[in-house]
Order: sequence, then C-alpha cells, then structure tokens
Amino acid sequence: MNAEPVFRVIHPLDDVAEQKRSLDNLGHIKMTQSVKTSLILLRSYLILMMLLVGYQFLSLAGLVHFGK
Amino acid sequence: MSEIIKLNNAAPAADNVDSRKVRTVRSRGVRDLLTFLMVMGPGLIVMEADNDAGAVSTYTQAGAQYGVHLLWLLLLLLPICYFIQEMVARLGIATGKGHAAMIYQRFGKWWGRFSLFDLLLVNFLTLVTEFAAISMALSQLGVSPYLSVPIAAVALISLVTTGSYLRWERMVIALCLFDTLWFVLAVVVHPTWADVAVNTLLPTIPKGGITFDLIFLVIAIVGTTIAPWQLFFQQSCVADKRLRFADLKWARLDTFIGACFTILVAGAMMLVGDAMLRHGVSYTDPAQMAAALGPIYGRLVRDGVLIMMVNAAVLGTTAISLSSAWAWGEVQGWNHSLHKPVREAKGFYAVYALCVLLAAAVVLIPKAPLQLIILGVQVLAGVILPSAVIFLQLLLNDHELLGNEFVNKRWNNVINWTIIVVLFALSLVLALQVTIPSLFPSSGN
Repeated sequence: MNAEPVFRVIHPLDDVAEQKRSLDNLGHIKMTQSVKTSLILLRSYLILMMLLVGYQFLSLAGLVHFGK
Repeated sequence: MSEIIKLNNAAPAADNVDSRKVRTVRSRGVRDLLTFLMVMGPGLIVMEADNDAGAVSTYTQAGAQYGVHLLWLLLLLLPICYFIQEMVARLGIATGKGHAAMIYQRFGKWWGRFSLFDLLLVNFLTLVTEFAAISMALSQLGVSPYLSVPIAAVALISLVTTGSYLRWERMVIALCLFDTLWFVLAVVVHPTWADVAVNTLLPTIPKGGITFDLIFLVIAIVGTTIAPWQLFFQQSCVADKRLRFADLKWARLDTFIGACFTILVAGAMMLVGDAMLRHGVSYTDPAQMAAALGPIYGRLVRDGVLIMMVNAAVLGTTAISLSSAWAWGEVQGWNHSLHKPVREAKGFYAVYALCVLLAAAVVLIPKAPLQLIILGVQVLAGVILPSAVIFLQLLLNDHELLGNEFVNKRWNNVINWTIIVVLFALSLVLALQVTIPSLFPSSGN
C-alpha cells in the first residue's frame, strides 16, 4: 500500500546555504566576438553621450548654438 | 509505516536545518503555495517600488495630456519588464551575488567603476526627487517640509536597521499592497470603461496625431517603467534572501505578478490623470492635480492622491537606497545584508543612511535646482540603462559563469537584443532632446 506523501517546506532564510555557481576562479569574461562587439558598441554609445553632455555644457555657457 | 518525504527545494543538506523551522504539509498544492509565499518578495517589491514619485508624475501627466490613449503602451511594457527582471532573478539565484560585484569581476575595474558610480549618482538624484515629492504632498496636507522630510528620512532609515530581512520585506510588501488604493481612486473618478478596454487592447493615436511631445512622453513612460536601479536591486535582494535553485520558478512567478501589479497600478494612475483632461483642467504636477480634483470628487481623491504620492516616494526611496548600499557593499567586500545588525554591517547601513539623509537635506535647501536635478536623472538614466542591460545580457550568455542550466535560451536572446536595440534608440532620442532641444520642434510651438 502506498504511503501518504509528506512535504517539507523550509523558508530560504532558514535553509542550509547551497553551493552557488562560483566566480572565484573565473577571472574576466572570455572576449568572444559578440562580447567584443557589444563592448565596442557600448563604448561608442557612451562617447556619443559624453559629446552630447559636453555640447550641453558649451551651450549653457553660451559658446555654441545649434540651429539658431 | 514510513512516509515519503519530499522537500520544497533541492538542498542536499536540508536535514541539517532546525526542525522547528520546517513545516510539514500533506498536499502538493499547499506545499507549492507555502513555498511561493516564502519566496515572494523581491519581484513584487522591485516592480512596485518602480511606481515611485517620478512614475506618479509621468503616468498622471500622460493621462492628463492624452487621456486613456496610452494605456496600450503599458500592456506592451509588461513583457519587457518581466523579461529583464527575470534575467536578474535567474542570475541572482544562480550565483548568490549582486549585479555590481559581477560586473566588476567579469568585465574588470573600469566597467565596474563606471557602472557603480553611474548607478550611485543617478540613484542619488532620483532620491532627491522622491523627497521633493514627499515635501510637496505633505505641504498640501498642511505639514511643513521642515517636519515631514526629516521624519520621513528617519523612518526610512529605521525601516532597514532592524537587523531582519524578513521584517523589512514584510513592511515593504505592506506598502506595495497599499498601492491598491490607486484602483479605488481610478474607480471614484469614473472613467469610461469601454474606452479604457479599447485603448488598452488596441494601440490608438491621440487626437493631435504623432507629435514630438507625444514621442517624448512615450520615452518617459518607458524610462519610468524600466529603471537601472531595478537590475541591481533585484539581484542583490534575491541574493540577500538566499533564494535556492529550486526557487527559480517561484521567483519567476513573483516577478510576473509584480510586473502585472505595477502595470495595473500605472494604468490606474493614468485614469486618475485622465479625469483632469475630461474636466478640462490643466496639469502641472500630481500635487496640483490632487488640489484640482478635490472640489470635483471630494476629499478621498484629494487626500488619496497626496498620500499615494508619499507612499510611492517612500517605496522608491527604500528600494533605490538599498540598491546603492548593496552595490557599494558588494564591491567593497563589506558585510552587506539586511540580516546583519548595524554593528556588523556599519558600512552598508552607512551608505543607505547617507543616501537618504543627503537627499533629504538637498530638498530642504531653499531654491534647490530641482528642475536641473530632474533633467540630470533623465539623462543619466538614459546612459546607464542600456549599458546595464548590455552587461546583463552578456552575463546571461556567460556559459563559463552560469553553465548550460541558467544561460539564456535562443528565444531569450532574440527578445532581449530587440529590447536592447529599442532602449538604445529611445535613450539616444531622449538624450538628444534634453541636450539639443532645438532639433525637436514642440507641438505646442
């Protein structure tokens, strides 16, 4: 005869800590083509943003005016 | 007769736990419900805290300007919110570490510092706007900012310094659920429900057509609904709560419920804003909206909007300050957990308290440049969000880090790269609008 199943429920904070994926010996991410391309695109985007912010400063200082 | 024992998780050493803390149930359904209730929290909080003071302002403004015409956008944003935050939850559960620490470790110090300082700066500026909302709303209720702002700051610091993650989580979930009052307010202002249903399900263009003002409001709604701090917050929160591998499906459900709830609340805010349009009242900010709607709908709406503004700002402040404190603590290698009493995690709590106190102090400075701060938040959020999402996407494709079990599937990547491209484009347009406004003629001109 089958025994009635019993389920135990434990709150994550009360449970024994489990072994997670370790980062300790990994170092930096492998520079695959997609990682390289993504980081280059991100750098280009950030440079463009910095240029826009620089323009805004110059504009606020009254040194440049676009379209006026 | 021996019993078949099944655990709610895959922890191999679960027999070592304190037996007083183990609940035994005889039904699979009850086990699942209990487990979900135990896991629930980070997803709901991260989503609902995103309906902060800035969100109240953006959504009510959208309603006041375009009525119910932009409700469809919220429905479109629901899966986007979910997919991004699901990745964060997965990463947190797989590694047990926060987002900032992971960027440092996998992409090096330069990208790590860039992400961290960008996050801290945009978070701080956002906190100033949260306290500005608290000050504005409580001023209308007759409380001086010199009283309301310091009291709010002390209360917000007390909220996290109890030395118990669970106590903090329960209080914050209660604040999240308090947001259901927005549904009451939406019903009280009597929207036309048929229009609401049609505009939610079918994308429609408002009367004036597609103008630059409309485009920027759409960008503002997207930027409000998906904020950079959310990525850092949820991953650290999941790690602090020590969610287990087996909890992933419940964490996904928590995130999904949170996404649905936040979108529904955002929709309710739009409906309250829509009442302004229907009565031909011009909109300035949520506090002015409360004052304008009071004589029409009564004190419930007036006081309700003001109180919900404070609730939104309090929720936003605790979550945003925690995302800064967790990120800084992870990178410094300090104790950075809400389980720790203050004496064991001084640096972590100090960062949180400093964020709250400095932001509160800025708001109390007479003639503080709040408009400039709001602009700064928009530009910085535009810069950090696409970069944070790129790192997230790369980390979720990092087989070395996550193994095959937790990495993105092909369909995940297709969806996420699409989201990233859209976010980059929107951020760029927003940055151009803020820095070179002459490029974009306003429809009002």
